[in-house]
Amino acid sequence: MKITLLIIFFIFIVIILRVFYIEVIDYKKLNKKASDLWSRNLPVGADRGIIYDRNGVILADNVTTTSLVVIPNQIKNKKETAKKLAEILNVEEDVMYKHVSKKTSIERVHPEGRRLSYEVADKIKALKLDGVYLVKESKRNYPYDTYMAHTLGFVGIDNQGLSGIELTYDEYLTGEDGAIKYFSDAKGNKLSLNEVYEEPQNGMNITLTINNEIQTSLERELSNAVTKYNPDRAIGIVMDPNNGEILAISARPNFSPNNYQDYSLEEINRNLPIWATYEPGSTFKIITLAAALEEGKVDLNKDTFYDKGSIKVENATIHCWKHGGHGKETFMQVVENSCNPGFVVLGQRLGKDTLFDYIDAFGFGKKTGIDLNGEATGIIFDRSKVGPVELATTAFGQGVSVTPIQQITAVSAAINGGTLYKPYIVKSINEPETNTVVKETKPTKIKQVISSKTSEKVREALENVVANGSGRTSYIDGYRVGGKTGTAQKVENGRYMDNNYILSFIGFLPADKPEVVVYIAIDNPKGTVQYGGTTVGPLSKAVLKDCIKALNIKKADGGKEKKYKWPDPKTLTVKDVTNKEIKEAKKDLEGFNVIVEGEGTKVTYQSPEAGTKLDEGSTVRIFTE
Amino acid sequence: MKKFNIPLFISITVLSLFGLLMVYSSSYIWAEYKYNDPYKYLKSQCLFLILGIITMLIVSKIDYKKYYKYSSKIFSACFILIILVLFIGTERNGSKSWFGIGSFGIQPSEFMKLAMIIFTSKYLYNNKKDIGNIKKGVLPILGLTLIIFILIMLQPDFGTGIILVMGVIGLLFVGGVDLKFFLKIAILGILGIIGLIIAAPYRLKRILSFLNPWTDPLGSGFQIIQSLYAIGPGGLFGFGLGSSRQKHFYLPEPQTDFIFSIISEEFGFMGVLIVSSLFFFIIYKSIKIALKCEDLFGKYLAFGIVFILAFQATLNLSVVIGLLPVTGVTLPFLSYGGSSLLITLASMGIILNISKQNK
Repeated sequence: MKITLLIIFFIFIVIILRVFYIEVIDYKKLNKKASDLWSRNLPVGADRGIIYDRNGVILADNVTTTSLVVIPNQIKNKKETAKKLAEILNVEEDVMYKHVSKKTSIERVHPEGRRLSYEVADKIKALKLDGVYLVKESKRNYPYDTYMAHTLGFVGIDNQGLSGIELTYDEYLTGEDGAIKYFSDAKGNKLSLNEVYEEPQNGMNITLTINNEIQTSLERELSNAVTKYNPDRAIGIVMDPNNGEILAISARPNFSPNNYQDYSLEEINRNLPIWATYEPGSTFKIITLAAALEEGKVDLNKDTFYDKGSIKVENATIHCWKHGGHGKETFMQVVENSCNPGFVVLGQRLGKDTLFDYIDAFGFGKKTGIDLNGEATGIIFDRSKVGPVELATTAFGQGVSVTPIQQITAVSAAINGGTLYKPYIVKSINEPETNTVVKETKPTKIKQVISSKTSEKVREALENVVANGSGRTSYIDGYRVGGKTGTAQKVENGRYMDNNYILSFIGFLPADKPEVVVYIAIDNPKGTVQYGGTTVGPLSKAVLKDCIKALNIKKADGGKEKKYKWPDPKTLTVKDVTNKEIKEAKKDLEGFNVIVEGEGTKVTYQSPEAGTKLDEGSTVRIFTE
Repeated sequence: MKKFNIPLFISITVLSLFGLLMVYSSSYIWAEYKYNDPYKYLKSQCLFLILGIITMLIVSKIDYKKYYKYSSKIFSACFILIILVLFIGTERNGSKSWFGIGSFGIQPSEFMKLAMIIFTSKYLYNNKKDIGNIKKGVLPILGLTLIIFILIMLQPDFGTGIILVMGVIGLLFVGGVDLKFFLKIAILGILGIIGLIIAAPYRLKRILSFLNPWTDPLGSGFQIIQSLYAIGPGGLFGFGLGSSRQKHFYLPEPQTDFIFSIISEEFGFMGVLIVSSLFFFIIYKSIKIALKCEDLFGKYLAFGIVFILAFQATLNLSVVIGLLPVTGVTLPFLSYGGSSLLITLASMGIILNISKQNK
């Protein structure tokens, strides 16, 4: 009989163990599920991560707005509530009635009740309606509006990243919404239990490699280009050649991410600096030059070439851009003059395989791997189809198709000592509260393409281009600038178009130890000489000058003197004329437009000061007592 | 004559009073909603508790041997009632189990449980020598039980029916029926359950739902999930008296079958431990009394009562915690229900009387 007692005891133990399992072991799971059942959440929007430039300038942040949320179960008089809300929000009453009578625990009044003005929010608050709540919502804001719009991208109504960095780094930027949790019974009535505030977890902040000062400069110059030349497109990238960091990136046409709805998808989606693919023209000659130097196929100063204005390759005649040719020139002059036949010869010396090996090695024909979406690969000749003519044209940048980012990345490698880096734009990702680094991008070396010796020779040649050759418009006094122009005829349906060119310039400084590379391309400028140096040179010069300020680059000695060439204005140095008689001073300042201020005979002060270099004909003011 | 068994009496009273408190705590939300009177269930339960305790005290003074004498009369009266209820009973929650008297209800099947135990005890006592003979000794009483079971199932009230059957089987075991026979009964029982499932497939769904309630969270798994939502978040110490969330319309009628869930929610694992211990203490004490009783009728009677109590309690707890499918059995002493409480306390009165007469 005692066995019954044992059995009962055993059953009780099983029951207790089971309860222990439910209440202690399974507690978390059940508690969470039950909590979800009991609680109704009033959402509290998390802020999206802020995007900074490398110096902490805010490129994208958030503004707080208010949104309307209703809890239908708590609204006793649905008709009345709908009527009042409809009045304030200026919408149809039955639209609002649908919201307040929806069979859901919580209803976000979308889109009528999103992003309300303070005025409207105050009016709603004043009504003190049951089951009507105003919740905080944050809205993305781009303080510099159109700046690098394609690269930053934009977000949708629910703050989801839709393009650019906003999209590629969406998982980092998106925070976790918090909530005001209140408990409710199964019929939706609020229970008099404490509300729980769950703090929203803001998204992570992103610091870009962008330097906003340089970005500002690039944006300004591209806008200038648009005003002046009304081009189809304009593209600009500024890069640190020593690590692949993007310092500025932009394009025209652009858009305002604050109002992205106003633009066509095509305008929004194409991030031209990484997407546009076109014949590079002469800027591609840097690759041929680097390859020829590395392979020892040319001695720039000793080897000479006679350019008679064209060169015959198989049955084709390839013309130099200069009618009649450059005549006898050293290969250094070939580079300075951007002489096409000269580069054909370099290509021939290299041979098909070697040249194409270098093109591959410099990263053409494949994505650079920059941390942005929408990058194109460009088109390089299939080697098996390359004959002597294709080899010849490739050598001076025709018949290949590259993206701006490939171009600047490859040239950076050619001048930085020979290392190809993977370009990148996100420098670090930080946790918003503690600023702990979550992810940091370090420069990625892809390969050593040429030796640092060769790279030095390339730099010297390109410095000559700016001092003596086709890049003269980018010469900056007191600084060593290297660069190369490019003029490429656009191809449509397999044929070159008439009078439709992409003009480009790639420049860097200081030429002996480059700190910054600027690439600007203008597609089909109107009303100007279709030649890279004239149109794009001044733009990149302006950007380079701003880079000097932004990066605090010191003046350098040992640069190449700019060679005087008509129609370039001659530069003269202002002499010291203080304490001299006016007559004498005027003589000393020959070539300048001298303006005398004051009645005296002796110069007491001069502007600008002595030693300044000015273009011939510039104004110099001298002051007398 | 031994004196009154105070520890047993106190445990019963404490458990019942705690039950009263919990009936109020778990029911006032629903009561307010349904009847506009949060004390509706409390009042009724309170009345029955007072009535029950008085009954228990009176019964404890009545010599249990009198039931031997009146057993057939008691049985016949209850038998008539459970037939009558099928015709003139009021239907609640789909079962015709009550005689409505005003807002009160009397549940004759509850009385039948005790009557059946008394009757079986007498039967076993009278047919002591025939009990080894299945045909002559066991089948008649089993047949009768089956008839009662069928009558109760007509209401239908599966919970009460199964408890009654299990109580009789337990008694037969104590009365010395061969174990092998119980095995055969078990097989028959399983076949019977299968038969019932075929007769009404909703039972299968109920049975399956307890295995994994999440497969049908809004249908057959609903009650058990809601019960787990009450027990689980209770944790070690619970939300405290009155702070259950599940009683806010999530768990239907929490004051009846699922009162234990609300106890777990408000008092946590500690509350469960205390309630279980009290139950076990009452059962333990009662079995000891049964064992000590030298009079065979008294022994059978006590065992029968304990079996019913223990079986009902463990069955209810197992259902509530998801170990068994939902059967619709209340928790003795704690669940809301006048007849159940009255009969349970009355049976305890009998135990107390047997205890008094033990040497």
